[in-house]
Amino acid sequence: MTVAAELRSQLARHLGQALPVLGAVAVGFAVCGLIALWVGLKPGLMFVELIKGAVEGPQLFETVARAVPLVGMTLAAAIPLRAGIVNLGADGQLALGGCAAAIVALYLPAPDIVRLVAALAAGMAVGAAYAALAAAGEIYAGVPLLLSTWLLTYPAKGLCGFLVRTSLRDPSTAWPSTARIAVGARLGSLIPGSPVNRGFLLVAVVAIAVIFIDRRSSIGFELKLRGLNERFARYGGVDLHRQTLGVMLASGAIAGLIGAIMVLGSQFRYTDGALTAPQYSWSGTLAALLAGGEPVGSVVAAVLFAALQTGGFAMERSVEIPRVLTMVLQSVVILFLAMRGAIWKRP
Amino acid sequence: MAYLEMIDIVKRYPGVLANDHIELCVERGEIHAVMGENGAGKSTLMSILYGLQSPDEGYIRFKGSTLLLQSPLDAIAHGIGMVHQAFKLFESLSVWENVVYRREPRRGIFIDGARARAQVEELARRHGLPIDPTARVANLPVGVRQRLEILKALYRDAQILILDEPTAVLTPAEVVTLFAVMKSLAAAGCTILLVTHKLNEVMAVSDRITVLRNGRVAERLVTAHTNPTEIVRAMTGQQTGPLRAKQPREPGAILLETQGLVVEQHGRRVVDDVSLEVRGGEIVGIAGVAGNGQSELIEALMGLTPVAFGVVRIAGRDLTRGSVAEHRAGGLSYIAEDRARTASAATASAADNLAMGFHRAPPLARNGLLRPAAMREWARSLIERFDIKVASTETAVGTLSGGNLQKIVTARELAHNAPVLIAEQPTRGVDVGAIAFIHGELLKERERGRGILLVSAELSELLELADRILVMYEGRIVAEFARAAADEATLGLYMAGGRRA
Repeated sequence: MTVAAELRSQLARHLGQALPVLGAVAVGFAVCGLIALWVGLKPGLMFVELIKGAVEGPQLFETVARAVPLVGMTLAAAIPLRAGIVNLGADGQLALGGCAAAIVALYLPAPDIVRLVAALAAGMAVGAAYAALAAAGEIYAGVPLLLSTWLLTYPAKGLCGFLVRTSLRDPSTAWPSTARIAVGARLGSLIPGSPVNRGFLLVAVVAIAVIFIDRRSSIGFELKLRGLNERFARYGGVDLHRQTLGVMLASGAIAGLIGAIMVLGSQFRYTDGALTAPQYSWSGTLAALLAGGEPVGSVVAAVLFAALQTGGFAMERSVEIPRVLTMVLQSVVILFLAMRGAIWKRP
Repeated sequence: MAYLEMIDIVKRYPGVLANDHIELCVERGEIHAVMGENGAGKSTLMSILYGLQSPDEGYIRFKGSTLLLQSPLDAIAHGIGMVHQAFKLFESLSVWENVVYRREPRRGIFIDGARARAQVEELARRHGLPIDPTARVANLPVGVRQRLEILKALYRDAQILILDEPTAVLTPAEVVTLFAVMKSLAAAGCTILLVTHKLNEVMAVSDRITVLRNGRVAERLVTAHTNPTEIVRAMTGQQTGPLRAKQPREPGAILLETQGLVVEQHGRRVVDDVSLEVRGGEIVGIAGVAGNGQSELIEALMGLTPVAFGVVRIAGRDLTRGSVAEHRAGGLSYIAEDRARTASAATASAADNLAMGFHRAPPLARNGLLRPAAMREWARSLIERFDIKVASTETAVGTLSGGNLQKIVTARELAHNAPVLIAEQPTRGVDVGAIAFIHGELLKERERGRGILLVSAELSELLELADRILVMYEGRIVAEFARAAADEATLGLYMAGGRRA
């Protein structure tokens, strides 16, 4: 057993994982090209516009700005998924985190910078606590996490909607929302003249931390092995309940932080439904699924999705190709990946 | 020309030549044993004969004509029947319904139940396989279910009967009955292919033996003119010495102890009032037919399943309600019965599998962070010490043979150096070489003063290794023997619930 043999087998493993993904992406593009041809569009033009719309000039910043919440929500989905757990309640944790951040940033009697930091912390704490509630439901009452996370989304969104229609309502706006947060308590712009705010840095730090913990820590080891074989993890002495709780706390904290970043960095107020309308948690779950919860792959998939989405918007504006095609592309890629078990593992 | 011939059979799987130009000749009315270690190619050969696989080269001749088998349906149509190790029965249906399924005698569009029952009864009587045709399968003991499987094949006019490891799930008494049935079937002209790795059974019941090794025929033997040593040599290709005689040893302090242990599942006491103790330097064996509470007892000892009543003490500490981690920290290590589903993660690397349980503390981790170089080094040293055949520390363990995977599990659990080792079926389905190695390791651990609780369905294993043997039946410990006082017949009687202590 030489170092060379080990390297070769590692390389083979990574290639083995990457090939199906690249294949699925290629098939996705091919299917979309065929659809474009069929309805009389030029697939070449479509792809050029899509790519230009994602990365050309200021569009690149649009993509980055979109990638910030999308990467965050992807990580919120990927951490549980790594252990084979699904958090379907990220929307609720996102909304509550954003709402809590808005309240703190608006009403905490403290200097601006303190309010900002406290608002971010509040977003994380509330998101984490709400996710932990779902975990507790499974651990102590036997409610499957899939159900408890999902169902708890509605009370969370409902509570935030109620607050911004009643006590927190800013009467000067047409849509139910809070008042605007003072400039000093906002997350400022990172690149002047672009929509990229300092939330980018926070998400980057979170992503690096998640990747590091996943690869190098004992916690990450236990998470990965539970995902590979839960019975083995239990047999080896991993406390599954405690791990579930920890995973949900981390996932909810990230979702809550993203809510806070969206409120403090780009919307500057909590508006009913505004955090969940772009369906970042949904795209994030798909991106995490694409990578099987592995954090580096998840982040890459999330950035790819962000580029597809901004590219899709731009394509629709410039050449009037409906951006639903980019959603078709995403779906086809995922479907083909889900098929890889049948296609790629056949002896 | 022989009655049944498999000629020049070749079957390739990616990276493996499972059958390498195998020739098998069987005469009418003989009991022919097909032997070999795991991976020798017996299962592949039998699945080719039963139409589950088609050979890449070669063909089957039966009664002078060539058979082309596309599926088991073809095999059955030609009079070839098979009883699998895992029975294929409808539990909620009755015996006769299982027997006639898809070949029901009909009256118009309806099944003629009365005639079917009569047919099954007549068939059972003719072959000396007593069974109640109206009994529900779910209520039948394992031995009777096997009889039902044989009846199913005979009802379909099987002239050749393949029995795949038929005694794995039986009590010694049921084994004796099965052998009698096999002999009477053979006397009546039925040909039986017995797939097994148990030497004593082959010696007791077979006429001739074909031994496979590495996908080839290693030896063709006539049972009356051979002996177990010769068969083992053919199976392994090497001379194996007898196991070292075990030194008698004064047992030390009590390391594992239970008092009045009860485990309940679905309102039933699956472990019922079990009190036992394991001392340092002794191997305590638990005998019993699978499904008599052994698994649940072990799970309760490990903290994997809750204890309803009673006490578990490990090295003097009460750990009745502790978590698995606390049990392990308290001094237990555990070779679980199901190495693939419980004791390893198939898609994880050898290094990760060997690191499990060592991943929180030095030398493999420091301050909560893993040390990859140390993990690789750790894996390398265990792989070398246990002579595990694996391409690299990064190879996924799901690709390993049963014996090598079992060595990975054994290596990891022994490396804990815990005072107590629970070994559950530690050699099931592994090759002869790995069995000898694992037995040797268990005896070494005993010499080092460790307490070992050994659960095994193989009485020969218990009689060889254990200092004391407890027999479990329906959740209770019904007998205890010092090794010198135990023999297969007596143990078998208690295992079958024949006598109560």
